[in-house]
Amino acid sequence: MDVSSPAAFVNGGLIRMHVGRKVRTVLQATRSDIASVIGKSTDGYQLVAKGSPPVPLTSYVEVIGVAENENTIRAELWTNFGDTFGMLFYSI
Amino acid sequence: MQSNEFDGNAAFSGGGFMPSQATQTAPDRPSSSSKNSDARCLLPLTVKQLMDLSRGGESDISIEGVDVNNIVLVGRVSKIDNAVSECTFRVDDGTGWVECTKWVHEHIDSVEVDAISVGMYVRVYGQLKSIHGRRTVHTFSIRLVTDYNEITNHFIECIYVHLYNTKMRGCINTQPRMTNSVGGMTAQPQVANSNFGNPGKGYSYETNQVNQYNNDEEQIHALSSTVLQFLRRPASISLHLRASFTQPLKITTNSLMPEIF
Repeated sequence: MDVSSPAAFVNGGLIRMHVGRKVRTVLQATRSDIASVIGKSTDGYQLVAKGSPPVPLTSYVEVIGVAENENTIRAELWTNFGDTFGMLFYSI
Repeated sequence: MQSNEFDGNAAFSGGGFMPSQATQTAPDRPSSSSKNSDARCLLPLTVKQLMDLSRGGESDISIEGVDVNNIVLVGRVSKIDNAVSECTFRVDDGTGWVECTKWVHEHIDSVEVDAISVGMYVRVYGQLKSIHGRRTVHTFSIRLVTDYNEITNHFIECIYVHLYNTKMRGCINTQPRMTNSVGGMTAQPQVANSNFGNPGKGYSYETNQVNQYNNDEEQIHALSSTVLQFLRRPASISLHLRASFTQPLKITTNSLMPEIF
């Protein structure tokens, strides 16, 4: 998948408008395993990012991928955003 | 002030240095010095804005009436082409991608580019170039983003500059009490930030904004006013601001900012 073209910035409430399209968002990881990360979006929704998360995984992670449905992203690119991040402001 | 004298204050006006009051209050600035000052402004832009720039007169590129020369971008490096004397980064900020070329002449340049790899977020300062219709950035400095709040901060700055150049300048130019022939407001002597006080000059990258437009903001749409008040808080945005600001910001970006995102 070519992830270099524009990806819509979404949160939990907006992802349903971009199902099937490339999206990006930041999650606050609550649970993770080798194949997925479950986290809270900037507006408090629980989302699942499937794929190969980075190891180690920080508290906040940016996910770029295709929205499979209104709460799941098939991630291709992961970026650790560290353990301190202003989710409130990213919610714009 | 003579037009052929080097105006140090105006020269550094885009880099956070405050111009002198004499510079601010000088009426009928020659167009050449005005153009040079505009060219030195540093504009935070998204890649979408870069690509949508229109061509002005002669060889000028402009956005919202402001000449664009030096820009700052924040994005993710998606590709690197390393040649002998130059390194080209493809920077993707989510609104598009642009190629940024950094010439490597000295050891310090090599150190700068070697620190960057694909997948990292970077802040790019550079000069916009247009070659055969293709926009590229001649890079002065490319640095890693270490605090990812910089990404959010950059987009907020892009919104602020866009609002300033489109809304505030239009409102200010209709005020009957304006006397500056350049087309902007006569700067108040007590204000240090002259670039903010000269809409004909456009926004330039400043970190110390002075709230001198209280009266004119009454003319601005209530939503824009709320956003501008929010953005005029101290440069280090606290992580603990009230949630009440996120709603107007959401509305702003989703419905009023198709030009940026």
